[in-house]
Amino acid sequence: MIEWFQFVATRLPELWVRTGEHILLTGTSTLIAIAIGIPLGLAASRLPRLQGIITGGVGIVQTIPSLAMLAMLLALLNKIGTTPAIIALVLYALLPIVRNALAGLTGVPAPIKEAADGIGMTRNQRLWLVELPLATPVIITGIQTAAVVGVGIATLSAFIGAGGLGQFINRGIALSNHQLILLGAVPAALLALAVDASITSVQWGLRRRRSARRGNRLDGLIRTLALSAPLFILATGCLAVWKPDLLSAGTTSSGDNNAPVIRIGSKNFTEQLILGEIMAQLIEQNTEMQVVRKFDLGGTMICHSALRNGEIDLYAEYTGTALTTVLKREVISNPNEAYRIVSEAYAKQFDLTWLSPFGFNNTYAITLRETDAQRWGIKSISELKSRASELRAGWTSEFSERPDGYPGLREHYGFKFATVRDLDTALMYEALVQEEVDVICAFATDGRIAAYHLQPLEDDLQFFPPYFAAPIISAATLDKHPELEKILDLVAGKISSETMQRLNSQVDRDKRSPAEVAREFLQSNILPSIQ
Amino acid sequence: MISFCSVSKSFSNGGEWAVQDVSLEIQTGETLVLLGSSGSGKTTLLRLVNRLIKPTSGKILLDGTDVATQNPVQLRRRIGYVFQGIGLFPHYSVAANIEIVPRLLDWPKEKRQKRACELMELVGLPPAEYADRYPDELSGGQQQRVGVARALATDPEYLLMDEPFGALDAITRDSLQQELISLKQRLRKTIVFVTHDIGEALRLGDRIAVMHRGRLEQIGSQDELLNHPKTEFVRSLFEKSSMPNHP
Repeated sequence: MIEWFQFVATRLPELWVRTGEHILLTGTSTLIAIAIGIPLGLAASRLPRLQGIITGGVGIVQTIPSLAMLAMLLALLNKIGTTPAIIALVLYALLPIVRNALAGLTGVPAPIKEAADGIGMTRNQRLWLVELPLATPVIITGIQTAAVVGVGIATLSAFIGAGGLGQFINRGIALSNHQLILLGAVPAALLALAVDASITSVQWGLRRRRSARRGNRLDGLIRTLALSAPLFILATGCLAVWKPDLLSAGTTSSGDNNAPVIRIGSKNFTEQLILGEIMAQLIEQNTEMQVVRKFDLGGTMICHSALRNGEIDLYAEYTGTALTTVLKREVISNPNEAYRIVSEAYAKQFDLTWLSPFGFNNTYAITLRETDAQRWGIKSISELKSRASELRAGWTSEFSERPDGYPGLREHYGFKFATVRDLDTALMYEALVQEEVDVICAFATDGRIAAYHLQPLEDDLQFFPPYFAAPIISAATLDKHPELEKILDLVAGKISSETMQRLNSQVDRDKRSPAEVAREFLQSNILPSIQ
Repeated sequence: MISFCSVSKSFSNGGEWAVQDVSLEIQTGETLVLLGSSGSGKTTLLRLVNRLIKPTSGKILLDGTDVATQNPVQLRRRIGYVFQGIGLFPHYSVAANIEIVPRLLDWPKEKRQKRACELMELVGLPPAEYADRYPDELSGGQQQRVGVARALATDPEYLLMDEPFGALDAITRDSLQQELISLKQRLRKTIVFVTHDIGEALRLGDRIAVMHRGRLEQIGSQDELLNHPKTEFVRSLFEKSSMPNHP
C-alpha cells in the first residue's frame, strides 16, 4: 500500500494531466448530451408518436458494446483522439438524460398542468414556469447517472488515443503492472464518486431554495457553493489541461514552443512501448524537435489509420503484420522479400516510408508451459498433432482471425485444438500460467516466455511469416525532417531477438518503466557509438 | 354577463352528452351556483367558459362576445379560476403563487408585491407570516385561501370556482364559506360556483342552477327551487336535504 502511494507520488504530474483529460472528456460529453437529450425528452413528451422512436433510438445505442462503438466511430470518422471518444460518450449519456427528462415532464400532476392552463399560461410559459421546474429533480438525476457512467466509459477512450485515466489502465494491462492499473482505476473511481457527490449537492442546493430565501447570508453562500459543485470539478479539469506542468515542479523540460513537433505512436503492448520510447528518446537526444508520445493505441489498424491521417508521424510496425493485416496479401516466408514488398506497397499506396528494421524477428510462437513440454517431450508444432484435440488454446483476438494466425495454422499443420478462447495479450500469458488454457500464441520476443517458464515450439513446417520490426514514417514528415532517417538508423539492426526479449522482460518481470528500459539500452548500446 | 346558448358537449364523438342543450344567463354581479352530483355536467359548464374545453355545439357569450372568437390565453387572464384540488404551484411560495398572473401580464415588481400583500390580508393570511411559505407548509384551508387570492390577483370581473371547498373539513369549509359571502359583498364579482353540496349551494348562491345528467333541470332563486320545483328531480333533491340528520 505504502509502496503504491510512493509510486503514485512519482507519477503525480502525469496523473494530474490524465485526470484533467478525463474530466474534460466526461464533462464535455455530458454537457453536449444535456443539450441534445433534454429537447429530445421534451419532444418525446409532447409528441406521443415520436416517443417510441426517440426512446427506442437512444436505447439501441446503449446495447452497442463500448469498444465496438469506438471502433465503428473510428472507421466512420477516420480519426483517432477526442472527437470519436466524445461522440461515443454523448451517445451513451443520452439514454438516462432523455428517459429522465421524459419521466420528469410526464410526471407533472395533471391538476397542476390544468391550473397553469386555467390561469392563462401559454404553452411556453407552462413549460418554463411549471413543467421544467417541477421535472428538474428527475432530470438532474438522469444527468447524474449519465455523468457517473460516463466517467467509467471514458476510461475506454484511451484505446483510441483520447487520453484520460484509461491510459494508465491500458498500459497497466499491457505491461501486467498492477500498480499502473490502479493508478488509473482508483482515481477514476474517486472521480466517479466526486461527480456523483457534486450533483447530489446540486439537488440539495435546489431543495434549500426555501430556507435560503428566508435565511441569512451564510445560508445563501452555502447554497451557491452547493449549486456550483460540478463547476469546481470542470474547472479542475480545465486547469489540468491548460497548465499540465502545475504539479511537475519544473522538472519537465520547458520545451521551446516553436520547436517542430513529431508525434510517435505505439500499439498497446510492452515491446511497442519500448520501441516507441527508444525512437522518442533518440529523436529528443539528437534534434531540437518536441516529441509527443501517442502510445497505447488499440491495435494495428488504429495505428495505421492514425499514421495515414497525419495524427501520428511515426510508429514501429512488423513486416508480417503489414503484409497480411494491412495489405491483405499472401504470407511470404523470405524476410528480405517480405520487407521489399511491404516497403514498396506502402510507398505507393499510402505515401509511407519503411526505415531500416531494428533487427529482431517477433514472430508468433506457439507456446506451452515448460513442464508440459518436458513431460510430453514436445519441441515442435507438428508434434502437437496427437494431443491437440485435448488441449485448450488461448489466442489474442487478432491471432484468431488473421490469415497468418490460427485459420492458416490449422490448415498448414492439419489439426485443431479442443477449444479456443480469445484473450487480451497480457491476460493470455496469465491464463497459461494459471492453467486456464494449455497453449497460447506468444510473441517470440516476449519477456514473459522466460519470466513465466514457458516453452515456445519450433515452427518446423515454416508457417509463420517473418515479423521484422521497423519504424514507418509518413513521407511528408521525412521530407520535412530528412535527418530523422539517419537518427533512427542508429538503432537499425542493433536490437537482436535476444536483446528484445531481455528488454521486454525488464518491463514485464522487473516492473520497470519502458522509458527507463529504453534509456538504459540507448546509453549502454547506442550512445557510445555516437561519441 | 355570461350567456350559454343551447350549449352541448360530448367527449366521445356523438356518444353520451356531458352537457346537453343548456341555455342560461349569469347576471353581472350575481353568484350563480351550479349544483349537481358528479357526472351531472356542472364542471364541464364551468370549463367551457374559459375555453379549457370547446362546446360541441352552441355558443358561450361573455359580455355579448362569443368566447370562441377570443384568444384563450387572454380570455383566461381576465377570468379568475379557483380549482378543485386547489392547483397551487408547489415550487412557488405563497406570494409567488398569488403574483403569477400579474407576472404573466408583466406588471412591475412593486405593484405585484403590493397587490399580493393586499390579497393576503383580504383572505386572512398575514403576509409577514405567510408570504414566503410554500403550499406544502400550509393546511388545506390556508391553501384554498391562497387559491382564492390567486384568482383575484388581477381583479377580474369574473370568478369561476370549481368545488373549491370540497376537500376541506366541515369547520374549515364553514369559515371559508362565511368569508366568501363577505368577499362577495365587498368585491361585487360575477361568480360561478360549482358544488355538489346542497347546503353550500343554498348558502352561497344568489341563484342556483340544478344540473342532472347533462341537462339543466331548473334555474332560480332558493325560494323558487324549494317552493316551486319544476321537475320531480328538483323536488326530491330538496326534500331529502330538508330531512333531519342528512349529511
